[in-house]
Amino acid sequence: MAPMRAALASMALGLLLLLSGCGSGPKEPFKIVSGSENTVLEPIVSEFCRSRGVTCTFTYEGSLDIGLALGSAEGIDADAVWPASSVWIDLFDTGRKVKDTVSIAQMPVILGVRRSKAEALGWVGRPVTMADVLGAVKSGQLKFLMTSATQSNSGASAYLAMLTTALGGADRMMTADDLSRQDVRQTVGDLLSGVERSAGSSGWLADLYVKSAAEGTQYDAMWNYEALIKETNDKLRAAGNEALYAIYPADGIAVADSPLGFVSRGKGDATEAFFKDLVTFLQSEPVAKRIAATGRRIPLGNVTAAAQADSNLDPSRLLTAIRLPEPTVIRQALDLYQSALRKPSLTALCLDYSGSMAGEGEEQLEAALDFVLTPDRAAQVLVQWTPDDQILVYPFESRVRERLVASGEPVAQQALLEEARRNSADGGTDMYGCAMRALEDIVATPGRETYLPAIVLMTDGRSEGDAEALIAVWRRVTPHVPIFGITFGDADVSQLDSVAEATSGRVFDGRNDLAGAFRAARGYN
Amino acid sequence: MAISRRAFGLGLLGLSAAGTGGYLLVKDRPELQGLLGRRTTLFGFTGGEKRAFLDDAEVTAALGSFGIVLDARVAGSVEMVREAALLGQNPQFLWPSSAVMVDLARQSGVKIRRDQVVLNSPIVVYSWQAVADGLGRAGLVTLTQDGHYELDLKAFIDAVLKGTNWAELGVDALYGRARIVSTDPNRSNSGFMFAGLALNLLAVDVATETALTQYGAQVQMLFAAMGLKSSSSGKLFDQYLAGGLGAEPMAVGYENQLVEWILADMARWDRVKANPGARPVLLYPKPTVYSAHPLIVTAEAGDRLPEVLMEPRLQDLAWTRHGFRGPLGAAGGSANSAIAGILPSQVSAVLPLPSAEVMLKLLQLLG
Repeated sequence: MAPMRAALASMALGLLLLLSGCGSGPKEPFKIVSGSENTVLEPIVSEFCRSRGVTCTFTYEGSLDIGLALGSAEGIDADAVWPASSVWIDLFDTGRKVKDTVSIAQMPVILGVRRSKAEALGWVGRPVTMADVLGAVKSGQLKFLMTSATQSNSGASAYLAMLTTALGGADRMMTADDLSRQDVRQTVGDLLSGVERSAGSSGWLADLYVKSAAEGTQYDAMWNYEALIKETNDKLRAAGNEALYAIYPADGIAVADSPLGFVSRGKGDATEAFFKDLVTFLQSEPVAKRIAATGRRIPLGNVTAAAQADSNLDPSRLLTAIRLPEPTVIRQALDLYQSALRKPSLTALCLDYSGSMAGEGEEQLEAALDFVLTPDRAAQVLVQWTPDDQILVYPFESRVRERLVASGEPVAQQALLEEARRNSADGGTDMYGCAMRALEDIVATPGRETYLPAIVLMTDGRSEGDAEALIAVWRRVTPHVPIFGITFGDADVSQLDSVAEATSGRVFDGRNDLAGAFRAARGYN
Repeated sequence: MAISRRAFGLGLLGLSAAGTGGYLLVKDRPELQGLLGRRTTLFGFTGGEKRAFLDDAEVTAALGSFGIVLDARVAGSVEMVREAALLGQNPQFLWPSSAVMVDLARQSGVKIRRDQVVLNSPIVVYSWQAVADGLGRAGLVTLTQDGHYELDLKAFIDAVLKGTNWAELGVDALYGRARIVSTDPNRSNSGFMFAGLALNLLAVDVATETALTQYGAQVQMLFAAMGLKSSSSGKLFDQYLAGGLGAEPMAVGYENQLVEWILADMARWDRVKANPGARPVLLYPKPTVYSAHPLIVTAEAGDRLPEVLMEPRLQDLAWTRHGFRGPLGAAGGSANSAIAGILPSQVSAVLPLPSAEVMLKLLQLLG
């Protein structure tokens, strides 16, 4: 019976592709800018594009990036956007460039807890509320991974659910006044103190969980989309590692609606018709079934992935969804996260002032510093520092020239900027030595577990020496400190890539869009 | 060849005379205009909820047979009667979705040649079977003899304003306080009408300025509790369907939205109906308000458009394919259609909206 059904389904799919193949598509490539959670759906979309002889390109960006691009004067370079939630379109698409948005899936943001941890907490087989999560964090029994609420939708969703439940439950509508309530700030600040690693992207965070488990680091838990918890579990099980147990907070969950929307930028009827056909294809029953199989909830779902009793995942489970407040209140809540409630960061910036950076590289580096240490500029894209943050700055060449330390106070940032700028490019390069020094200082920082630490190498990447000694020391330091790279000048990324790879960091290009690169890196702590 | 050249010539002449006589006969008959291939193209604005109706090939063919082609662009009901940028394009007709808009158009200096309500659609509440069953147990929803649900909206709004939990209203499947959402009343007509209806219900009559002073704050509270509101009725309806029982237990919309959705894919409706957990349910507030669709003609060329749209063929298409009722709220066309049984033939209790002045002040309060 089952093979028969599968054969019928594939016949239906083939027929659909055949039918849809009759129309003519756009001549130019069709560009889709999407949230990272949709990587698993790219092959399904590509299948349709191929059937129509159209080249489709996917670019993955965080929700905030998609929003900022939609709101920018030049507009977004895409024919379709597919952010995790329509909130980001509502917040930023003031020119109403996005039309015909369709929810492809419903994706609640839940807490996946390592099964043995969930058992130890007594959470298996009973309803768990956000208050239970708070209790476990405060007693030091639970830490979790969560993306940055200001950079990525899954983090924003988890954060808004924390705020809403702190107000008294899913049914409370958040107001601007609520955000200044001391008790609410205390509760949410305490919840966020449980963040062990952050990221700017939900897909990347899920990969980090899997990769760390493979290397022997078992994180307690992760906030992510229900479908990504399923995807993570599939990978964990395949590698023989412990899976995550799904916690659906009983008092309120934020649900993302995964909207696919057409960007109208005058490319002609063929492009728009192609978009509509793509939506029809994605909503057709055989394709909806395949999307449901990834753990996504399909609107009016009579196609859902099977529940998994051992991990408590159940895409057909009825949720208590929170209602989001008005856009102005969301924006205020995000500002509050960045400026007060998030876990403070301890960030070491290694600035390459070696001879090879002279000229263009040095100019780009200083422009980046100016952006990141000027509160008004950083706040525009929600990466400003708070007074609780600590910033360490190391101008280096073949040796570390000096160490500059400041809090996130605006005055201190200004002084730091002026000091750093007194340097000029000269001498050899040893970025490994700088990273080692930064790591030692981070380890020696009092109360370092209350911070999210990170090292950022801002360099052209052409270094003497190698990573061996650094990585050996890095392994012994727990919790691990990710090392990020931002490239400038005539960059060679190969050395940086291997450091970032070994330390679960990431490399960003600072040459074309240094503000963007730094924003992305900051989203990771 | 039996027929002579002369005879043939005479025959042609005769045919042509008959033709001319016929032409003179039909020239002034609007319903026959299309036969002559004469088409008048009319440019104007319409609310988005009528887009599917106006895009329907059978509707355009029917209009064409009466010699009319509509170049209708979508605009919000409030903006089309007030925005200089739209009125400056010299539309020949305006087709908003609320009768109050005729007054607003007049106030903003639109020269109205004719205005007539040609379609109607009551404001309804979209919900789910589990909610309807629960509210039924609590006495807020009743099943009529012909199998339609009526909602005591006044009692429900009172419960929302008091912060009553779903469980106390008989809905055990949902956690927390009862809630209902509509579109943003300052941008979209269904939210605008729901605001007026809520004010009427709180005032227990068609609301006056005095009622606004007395109950305005409560309507404000009701809308504040909704949080993020959609900018259009179509978007909210999609959100309701996509979100399901947990995320969107109750959403305000037009009666005809469900009809268009069902007719777009009957097989999908059969599947959805069979799933009791996820079955959409239409609740008729008692009383409700009608979203009337007054056609406002502003140019001579459009003078006969109201009659054409009142033609039985167009009224029948509006009802059977799009769920729009006729000007008096009755089911327009043949009862024996695909949607028979889904909608009641008559909506029992209908209130008029408060006056344009009261509505404008209410909008400011909710802005």
